[in-house]
Amino acid sequence: MTEADEHMDFDLEVEPEDEGEEALETELGTPCLVVDDLHVVYRVIGGRAKKEAEKQGAEIREVKVKVPFYKRLLQAGRRHVGAVSEVHAVRGVSFTVRHGESVGIVGVNGSGKSTMLRAIAGLMPPKSGSVHVSGEPSLLGVNAALMPMLTGERNIMIGGLALGLTPKQVEERFDEVVEFAGIGDFVYLPMKTYSSGMGARLRFAISSAASPDILMIDEALATGDAAFKERSKSRIEEVRSNAGTVFLVSHSISTIEAMCTRVLWMHQGQLVMDGPVHEVADAYKKFVRAQRPGMGPARRRALQRKRAAEEAARKKAEADAQKKADAEAKKAAEAHA
Amino acid sequence: MSTPTTDAAAPAKAAAGGDAKKPPPPLVPSTTSAERLALAKKYGLRPLNVRPPLGEYIRDLTRRWAFIRVLATSTAYAKNQNNYLGQLWAVLNPILNAAVYVLIFGVLLKLSRGVDNSIAFIVIGVFMYRFVEASVTGGAKSISGKTQLLRSLHFPRAVLPMSTVLSLLTTLIPAIVVMCGITLLSGFLPGYEMIHVTWWWLLLPAAVALMWVFNTGLAFIMARFVASTPDIENVLPFVMRVVMYASGVIFPVVSYVERLVIPETSKAVVGGILEYQPVAVYLYLVRSVLMQEEIFPPSGLMWALGGAWAVLFFVIGFVVFWRGEERYGRD
Repeated sequence: MTEADEHMDFDLEVEPEDEGEEALETELGTPCLVVDDLHVVYRVIGGRAKKEAEKQGAEIREVKVKVPFYKRLLQAGRRHVGAVSEVHAVRGVSFTVRHGESVGIVGVNGSGKSTMLRAIAGLMPPKSGSVHVSGEPSLLGVNAALMPMLTGERNIMIGGLALGLTPKQVEERFDEVVEFAGIGDFVYLPMKTYSSGMGARLRFAISSAASPDILMIDEALATGDAAFKERSKSRIEEVRSNAGTVFLVSHSISTIEAMCTRVLWMHQGQLVMDGPVHEVADAYKKFVRAQRPGMGPARRRALQRKRAAEEAARKKAEADAQKKADAEAKKAAEAHA
Repeated sequence: MSTPTTDAAAPAKAAAGGDAKKPPPPLVPSTTSAERLALAKKYGLRPLNVRPPLGEYIRDLTRRWAFIRVLATSTAYAKNQNNYLGQLWAVLNPILNAAVYVLIFGVLLKLSRGVDNSIAFIVIGVFMYRFVEASVTGGAKSISGKTQLLRSLHFPRAVLPMSTVLSLLTTLIPAIVVMCGITLLSGFLPGYEMIHVTWWWLLLPAAVALMWVFNTGLAFIMARFVASTPDIENVLPFVMRVVMYASGVIFPVVSYVERLVIPETSKAVVGGILEYQPVAVYLYLVRSVLMQEEIFPPSGLMWALGGAWAVLFFVIGFVVFWRGEERYGRD
């Protein structure tokens, strides 16, 4: 087991209301997304990111570029001045997805799921490799930044326009979006007054309003309540029945099982398994459960300390008893003498 | 058929039998890279993360004009929303700003500027220069400060610098009203030349529009360079201060060049550069429109230069920005 493995954060949530649910089987169409040997490397300016990210299992290296002498002179204090690291988050991923498929992506924290989703949504430029799509992919993330100072109403307009709708189209869909988000009159208040669930619901409603060809969802359903989950599930089915494709990143394996037909398992930036939902989900669950009893280094050290302390106490007690016995024996010997 | 596809060469039977603590080994794709690319071509899939051709990019951008406008007005509105006085600050802010400059440079440091109304000179200089300065600093942050937005939504990135400058223009409009008011009122003070509203004032929107186009070009250039080298942002305040003094915002800089101890020929060169560089040209235009000063006569040459600088900076800035399109959001 590598150092990185020990640091992985395991998360196997099971939502009771998802139990027993199955994703709708739909007719599969022609390929709509081809990912070819995708590598994503992002630049981290400032050196301290290195250790933290390495713990997460990402492969990081210092950027080595040929620099002219005067630049090297300027970069003399490299570690603190001008420290740049690169995080190789996705390392050579290839797959094909067809119209109507619903694909879940699983993996431990830091395995590159979200970065890959961004790259295949065209939001993070890859270092090498390519992504080919039909139509316009639309990514929905929990931290999709709308403007917190402005009202929900204004944000619906901004979000809709950003997705390529016309102002008139946004106005037409306004009521539908508000109803779907279930925020009622809160839509006229600034978004910073919303609870995190309300914000996430509104963002989901906005991004699915444009009826995208490829809908990508990153952990956004985790903040919604059961009723919202039901609504978003039917929205996902709607996208799929219109020959659209859905990608879902979630830590809740039951949500994936309930909503997806196919699962990609990522580990340290690479694809390790790809197949029908139950096959991969079962293998992934087995993997995660196997990790669970194994403990993190902190807990292990704490346990070691506890054991050492017990051992020391026992030894001390033994030594004391020995001393006492010795003393008594001496006394006895003296008395005897 | 309804069984999901898989790209695994062999059905993965990982974790079974093997060490359950280890994830299965990385998959070997069943197709080669060439086969996948052929597949993408066969079904007419479009490559992502490829910079669109310039013409297509411009078309895409013009379709998003409503987005640029809404983003700009919303940002301008949001700026003053957290205060009790709310949108009143859009007017109060420029008044306070003008008061400080007039007090320090007009009343306390009574320097001769070769003009009859130095309050009008300073107020116009400061207000119009703030538009340029805010466009440069705002443009610099328009990409680098919005990584989250870039990684969440897909749209032509040129929307961001454009809406930043448009937002500044919306906040400039109340400021211009204040500026004209102060300019007119300053004439009633003893020792300051009276300023009259003339037909020339109708040209003020044209001068501001030229500045807007020029500033958008500047914002494009700054956005691209600061996105790749964030350090530039730290140098900007100093550069902008030098430009401020070199553009005659508070003192007419050309009269100082005359006093330099350098050969006549270099004096002419330095003087020419200082006089005809874009920021100085725009300040000249606004002053010549609003003030009836002898040193700012209406000048066709200056209007032509103003137009040329605006077009030049906008076109160069736009192309520079477009060439980095596929990289924004990576760093």
